Amino acid sequence: MTLRLNVPDLAFAAFLVALGAFAFALASELSVGTAAAMGAGYVPRGLAAIVMIYGAVLGVRAMFVGRQPFPAVAWRPALLIAAAVALFAVLLPRVGLAITSIAVVLCAGLASYDVRLRENAVLAVALAIFSVLLFVSALGLPIPVWPQ
Amino acid sequence: MDLIANLATGFAVALTPANIGFCLLGALIGTLVGVLPGIAPITTIAILLPFTFSLPPASSLIMLAGIFYGAQYGGSTTAILVNVPGESSAIVTCLDGHQMAKQGRAGPALAIAAIASFVAGTFATVVIATASAPLTWLALKFNAAEYFSLMVLGLTGAVVLAHGAPEKAVAMVLVGLLLGLVGIDVNTGAPRMTMDIADLGDGIGFVPIAIGLFGIAELAVTLGRPQDRSLLAVKISNLMPSRTEIRQCIPAMIRGTVLGSVLGVLPGGGAALSSFAAYAVEKKWSRTPERFGRGAIEGVAAPEAANNAGAQTSFIPLLTLGIPGNAIMALMVGAMMIQGVQPGPQVMTAQPQLFWGVIASMWLGNLMLIVLNLPMIGLWVSLLRVPYRLMFPAIVLFCCIGTYSVGNTVFDIWVMLLFGAVGVFFYKVGAEPAPFILGFILGPLMEENFRRAMYLSRGDPMVFVERPISALLLAMALGLLVILVLPAVKRKREEVFKE
Repeated sequence: MTLRLNVPDLAFAAFLVALGAFAFALASELSVGTAAAMGAGYVPRGLAAIVMIYGAVLGVRAMFVGRQPFPAVAWRPALLIAAAVALFAVLLPRVGLAITSIAVVLCAGLASYDVRLRENAVLAVALAIFSVLLFVSALGLPIPVWPQ
Repeated sequence: MDLIANLATGFAVALTPANIGFCLLGALIGTLVGVLPGIAPITTIAILLPFTFSLPPASSLIMLAGIFYGAQYGGSTTAILVNVPGESSAIVTCLDGHQMAKQGRAGPALAIAAIASFVAGTFATVVIATASAPLTWLALKFNAAEYFSLMVLGLTGAVVLAHGAPEKAVAMVLVGLLLGLVGIDVNTGAPRMTMDIADLGDGIGFVPIAIGLFGIAELAVTLGRPQDRSLLAVKISNLMPSRTEIRQCIPAMIRGTVLGSVLGVLPGGGAALSSFAAYAVEKKWSRTPERFGRGAIEGVAAPEAANNAGAQTSFIPLLTLGIPGNAIMALMVGAMMIQGVQPGPQVMTAQPQLFWGVIASMWLGNLMLIVLNLPMIGLWVSLLRVPYRLMFPAIVLFCCIGTYSVGNTVFDIWVMLLFGAVGVFFYKVGAEPAPFILGFILGPLMEENFRRAMYLSRGDPMVFVERPISALLLAMALGLLVILVLPAVKRKREEVFKE
């Protein structure tokens, strides 16, 4: 038998094994109890073990099912969207919704390959006004609008 | 005539001015996201969930349900005019609907799609109303063991009917179940797998996970693909289909409705599956199968009827058994629990207003959709001309605000970001997030029933096969799995999903 790595399948299997092992370690401090009186750790540990074993089986299979490379990731949209979300988390408690919205939209807008900077800036201001009016003024969500 | 009395209760709730408003709002938002490719109804429901918390439970569910079936109407508009499915259940509508549009029959295609949806919606409402009472009665006889087995069956169904590789769907269910257990154990009060993070005490937030997996991840993936939106420059002059066309459609509509109603109830079923199956059946039954793919009006009527019927009847397991059959219903469970309503058979008896109100609103919403949508098609079409680059930054922002507003903590934003990244990974390795969400919602419920059943049986696992209903449910789950691995079925299944 020759090795024919299926990289996506293998990556998924590795993810399962890692997650299962991590969960198992976290759950190992919990009491297991007995089948009739299960402790807090009984089901989590069992499930974590199943996830780990299942992942290992998938991993072995992935080595023989046919060569397949990992699909290309479009990094620009992925990273810029992630950056926009992170900006929201960092900025909102510090500068409030108005400025945060502008920053998030400016950053997210760059994720598109056909971004137009001036149009994006107008969109950012418009969405900031819209968000404050809709979510804070109309819906009354307790979100700070301006820097405190 | 319990049914009529019940429906009267329902309409009394659904017809209050506020609820008519929420129903209309939900239906309109649903149509909007259905029309726009790149925003799925599941994402929209996830984003809007937090904003419904302040509403009464009935209003909130009425609106969220409206989004779901409204999207079935909207999706077909884009499919017919642009040849891009506005959402996944409209994929087959592209085949014949767009051909009709190219032949200058866009008007009849749109009209028949709307009419078929309405007919199916009406029928499905009656199905829900009649099927609910016996199912609820049955569910009240359920014990912990039966509930556990029922959930096993539900999750198995979700695996069998998931797109993509079933072995990955199994893994996703398991991961969902595992992550669903994070948080304080209800029985012992011990914090579990929380890494001493106080924010994880109540478990990983459901809204940030759903928005991360379906909203953020989907955006990142969609933006990486080239955008194609060549809108067909059609003048929609005549909406009415000809008499021959109507005659051709009626049997197709009926078959689609019945098939959709049945498939919608199945665990893992729902709108998309129903429309695929209805199209396949219609093509097989037709005396002129060669017309399909070249603008056969039955090829629009049947799947459009089926997806709307399936969308609605997929509420049945949720409303009667408290068990979500697909990912959107899992979101509905989230919505109900946040509202303080524990989904299950007791909802119908304890809160008849809520139960029947939601059902009655479905018919009402369908009526609004057909009355409003046909005249408003021009408006929806003009929305299609808005470029995606102007829409997605707004979606990113709304995802953030929505997630933040659940608990007013930025911790949830980081969770959403994490699951956005995980979602992109899942997408790249070909693992569907829908079974994950189902597992995540059912995890704690399953564990609770498993523990209770085992406690009652003094640790004897045979309890699950000794009780007849439980054994039957498990046997059905096993049967589904066996069917799945049979080579003939496997091939057929791949064929169906390829179409």
